[in-house]
Amino acid sequence: MSAQGTATVRAMRSSTEPAATRPLLDTDSRDWVRALGATGATRDDAVARLHALLLRAARFEVARRRATLPHLRGDDLDDIAAEAADDALMSVLRRLGDFRGASRFTTWAYKFALYEAAVKLRKRAWQGREIPLEPESWSLFSSAAPEPAAEAEQAELLSAIQRAIAEALTPHQRRVLVALAVNGVPIDVLAERLNTTRGALYKTLHDARRKLRKDLLERGLSLDDRLEESR
Amino acid sequence: MKRPDTNQALGRLLGPPGPEVGCDVCFDELDRYVELELAGKDADAEIPGLRAHLDGCPACREEHDSLVALVGGEPGR
Repeated sequence: MSAQGTATVRAMRSSTEPAATRPLLDTDSRDWVRALGATGATRDDAVARLHALLLRAARFEVARRRATLPHLRGDDLDDIAAEAADDALMSVLRRLGDFRGASRFTTWAYKFALYEAAVKLRKRAWQGREIPLEPESWSLFSSAAPEPAAEAEQAELLSAIQRAIAEALTPHQRRVLVALAVNGVPIDVLAERLNTTRGALYKTLHDARRKLRKDLLERGLSLDDRLEESR
Repeated sequence: MKRPDTNQALGRLLGPPGPEVGCDVCFDELDRYVELELAGKDADAEIPGLRAHLDGCPACREEHDSLVALVGGEPGR
């Protein structure tokens, strides 16, 4: 688990709540849990209904992202949705004991299908592409300033950011920050290439961001104020 | 004045300023958070640190947005 927040944030994890404080299940959710925990035809029927529900969610996610994947054919997208539903079904059944009734069962189950479909689509979109671990472009940080003073300010900002990235971060933090936050590599794609998990990678990104903020602040650059002022 | 693109780039680089949960906690709590949002309740007060994480993690944000759209579009909502 990779909570990056304060003790307060870590303490709110409801998976540690005693059973007595957990909310009661609504009728529909209770029926799902009972049927999936049963045996024989009752369970088989529930599993089939659950798979259909997950397939609908996976297709929903595929449809939302379809425009960003013009190179994929309809058959490919159908296959991705089907694989996502299958994998989500396994995850839901494996983690059925984790369902606490904090939401409706269907909402809880949907997130597994959406996650599986989204991860597969991100990976498919980057299949065969090289992962850029060095900055491809800093242009977003430095161009189109309308005034000379603003242009100078942006040049100073870019220089400070580049220096902070080079000097304050470990090589691993630098690669992760640049790939994810500068080059826009999807976190699941990078996690797969580096043989790690989304959670572990985000922890690295979080630590790198904190170091970067601290370094820039020590150099007299409070970028949160600048971002706030420009909103 | 900076371009919106520049601000977005800075935002991606620096991430959210406050405390945030990680991806695993985000996944664990996402269904509850989304239902609170759809019910018009203060999801951020109920689950501190999750909104900040959504601001800092594009992947979790996309999955949040999809769950909102899917559940919010169901009959009876």
